[in-house]
Amino acid sequence: MTLKTLLCAATALTLSAGFAQAQDKTLTISAYAFAQDEFSEILYKPFEEKCGCKVVVETGNSVERLAKLEANKDNPVIDMAVMSTADAMAASRNGLIDTVDTSKLTNFDKLYDVAKDPNGDGMSVGYTFYATSIVYRTDKMKIDSWADLLKDDIAPHIAFPNITTNQGAPALYMLGKALGSDNPDLQVPIDAVSKKAGDIVTFYVKSSQLVQLMQQEEIWAAPIGRFSWAPFTKLDLPLAWATPKEGQTGGMNVMVVTKGSKNRDLALEFMDYWLSTEVQTKLATALVDSPANSEVKVSDEVANNITYGAETAKSLTLLPASVSLDNRDAWLAEWNAKVGQ
Amino acid sequence: MFQNRTEALALALPAAVFAAVVFLVPVALLLSEGFKTADGWTIQAYIDFFSMPLNQAVFLRTLKLGLTVTLAAAVIGYAAAYAIVTLPASSKGKMIGLVVLPLMISPVARTYAWIVILGRTGIINQALSAVGLTDGPVRILFTETAVFIGLLQLFLPLMIISLISALENLPRDAVPAARVLGANWFQVFWKVILPLSREGLIVGGTLVFTGSLTAYITPAILGGSKVLMLETLLYQQVTVANNFVSASIIALILIAMSFAANILLRRIASARSAK
Amino acid sequence: MTQKLYTWSILSLVLIFLIGPFFIIVAASFSAGDTLAFPPQGFSVKWILKVFTVESFQQSFVTSMILAIGGTLTALILGIPAAYAMSRYKLPGAEIVRFMVSMPIIVPGIIVGLALLRYFVIPLGISISLALFIAHTALVLPYAVRVVSASLNNLRSDMEEAAVLLGSSRAGAFFRVVLPNIRGGILAAFILGFVTSFNQVPVSLFLSGPGVRTLPIDMLGYMEIVFDPSIAALSSLLAFLSIGIVFAAERFLGFSRYV
Repeated sequence: MTLKTLLCAATALTLSAGFAQAQDKTLTISAYAFAQDEFSEILYKPFEEKCGCKVVVETGNSVERLAKLEANKDNPVIDMAVMSTADAMAASRNGLIDTVDTSKLTNFDKLYDVAKDPNGDGMSVGYTFYATSIVYRTDKMKIDSWADLLKDDIAPHIAFPNITTNQGAPALYMLGKALGSDNPDLQVPIDAVSKKAGDIVTFYVKSSQLVQLMQQEEIWAAPIGRFSWAPFTKLDLPLAWATPKEGQTGGMNVMVVTKGSKNRDLALEFMDYWLSTEVQTKLATALVDSPANSEVKVSDEVANNITYGAETAKSLTLLPASVSLDNRDAWLAEWNAKVGQ
Repeated sequence: MFQNRTEALALALPAAVFAAVVFLVPVALLLSEGFKTADGWTIQAYIDFFSMPLNQAVFLRTLKLGLTVTLAAAVIGYAAAYAIVTLPASSKGKMIGLVVLPLMISPVARTYAWIVILGRTGIINQALSAVGLTDGPVRILFTETAVFIGLLQLFLPLMIISLISALENLPRDAVPAARVLGANWFQVFWKVILPLSREGLIVGGTLVFTGSLTAYITPAILGGSKVLMLETLLYQQVTVANNFVSASIIALILIAMSFAANILLRRIASARSAK
Repeated sequence: MTQKLYTWSILSLVLIFLIGPFFIIVAASFSAGDTLAFPPQGFSVKWILKVFTVESFQQSFVTSMILAIGGTLTALILGIPAAYAMSRYKLPGAEIVRFMVSMPIIVPGIIVGLALLRYFVIPLGISISLALFIAHTALVLPYAVRVVSASLNNLRSDMEEAAVLLGSSRAGAFFRVVLPNIRGGILAAFILGFVTSFNQVPVSLFLSGPGVRTLPIDMLGYMEIVFDPSIAALSSLLAFLSIGIVFAAERFLGFSRYV
């Protein structure tokens, strides 16, 4: 191939890429990176057909995407985003998001009450919630309490969530409760973890990695969110979902609309579609997201693998978003000073 | 040699200006952030940065890994490069091809493979227990050792290639001659091979050291958050803490370390050859 | 005889270390199991096939191709004249030019990405795609200049001086005499630049936006979510693609002479 041919090829590719982007109605959303193929199948593509528009998705973790929203404050690229309740509150405090006009959401009344306005500021709507507990090898140990994770014979075989992940603070909070401290400054559990930091296999950032580590017998237990449970069940290992006596924790993910978005109505239309019984049922059946829509009915088998039902939702010990947000910097500093080295 | 200066400048300027505008300017702006405060310029941020034990630990770990990887690459690199240049021409080309081969493979893939190899049930542990060296599985993954191995595999080819091109210029009979005259292998290396190959060592050493400092995927995947290095700390500071001052400081440290390594290697090499 | 023994034992150990992991990846691509494991559990091509069904891979593959081809060509267009000026002219400030164009090797990629995001993309409203393109061009520039310089320095300059003396214009002499003779060097620079850009991670880490992601970044993102052997399969496919290109280049042009 001569340079000339290559040059032509490159020009052609650049041009075609340019044309592909030049569609007039485009909704840009920012979402978690996981299960994008399922989301595309169940949510994005049907919606694109419905609205005659194009859905462009940016992915990353919650904090990463919040940083980008902040960076593009004056000229928002993203129309709609999903994130943790704490991040939604941070975004709202920094003036990055707008009130959600729930009158335009026809499916709003079907939501569980906890999901309707999780932060109490009218800026976000919950679309899924999840339990967080411990996945463990039943042939190697027995987990009755969060504190069991730090036992001498167990600690060298666990992965603990890093403080920077959505599971980090809730897991530490439960550990604190097990150790007799309810204090949201998390000093007691961070201290306890730091004493075992050398033993603990890793402080994970990506929960998907845990499946590989479990399969390699690198770890025997780890606190995880229920949304990452499904792949573990496919491993040929005796694994169980712990029900510690201190209870399970968890979290909720919410939808927000970017302030200054030029596609506000389209974004609301998209949110409404995402909350519809049809889409929420499909997402639940695919074991992607547990439903926040109370009309969703799933089989027992599916229910066992997700966080299903109003009762379950109520039983979770959740860290309020404001607590997470107000303590986040202090937690990170404490963690970095004690555990990070 | 053509003398026309205007023509020369016209040819060279586009590249230089491009590099300056899209490269030096933004990087310089980023670096300036570490010194800027509301009331003027100060190095306070640097003092604060280095007073944190975590940052000290990460800095020292990065330096340590950079140095040990470079040293190991130099030792293995000399052994391999010397072996390759003594090969007959036909197999030499093939061997160089095999050494370069890993450079063509995505570092994502190469790092990924080590997870399987270094795991508790991985090949290394299987081999160790089969030979009877260890009682139970040894933990390698998520330790500095894992990062060391990953980085060495990533950058060793650069060292070998640099040394091959330097050793090719070595007179064919220099080493046998020195051996006949009674020099031992250590003396041969120190008196004959090293002085003649110092350019290659400088280039290779700088590439390996700089590469080790600035690798992101290897420490991120094989080290995880227990083995933070400057590059992974920088990413964490920006994405999690939104702390651009720390990011700017880490950036300057990384650049300074690369420059220092280059100058130091030059010094060492020229000091040897001056004797 | 000991010399031979030394040579082959050293080389086999080094090659096992360097290439071994690649075989693991290839083996894992053909695994029938759901996780990456060695030895692989059974044989199947399902992961290889799955790679082609993941839509985001197709998109990011195209993005990476455009970046690698376009960025390298741009770097060559900028770099060849600069290399020519440095090797054939008395260039005022040659050292400064050399320093400037080789900076991108020394400055960590993650910093370049962050700096471009913070001072180009955000304040000036430049699109992420353009910033990525610029960053990848800058990244390849040092290789372009270095390899082309080496190739120019191997070419005796009296040919083009003769051409100029015989009445050819300087540009004419360049295109008719110099360019055909450094063709191999340019192709070597192109391949080196292409591979560098295509596999680049840190620069692109911060430079990703809605619908704009390079393949390695996409692979990292995919690994965050799924840890099945499809990443191994994709890696093997890409590796064979690169090896194929380099092998062809070596076969027909003697690529390794230039690197």
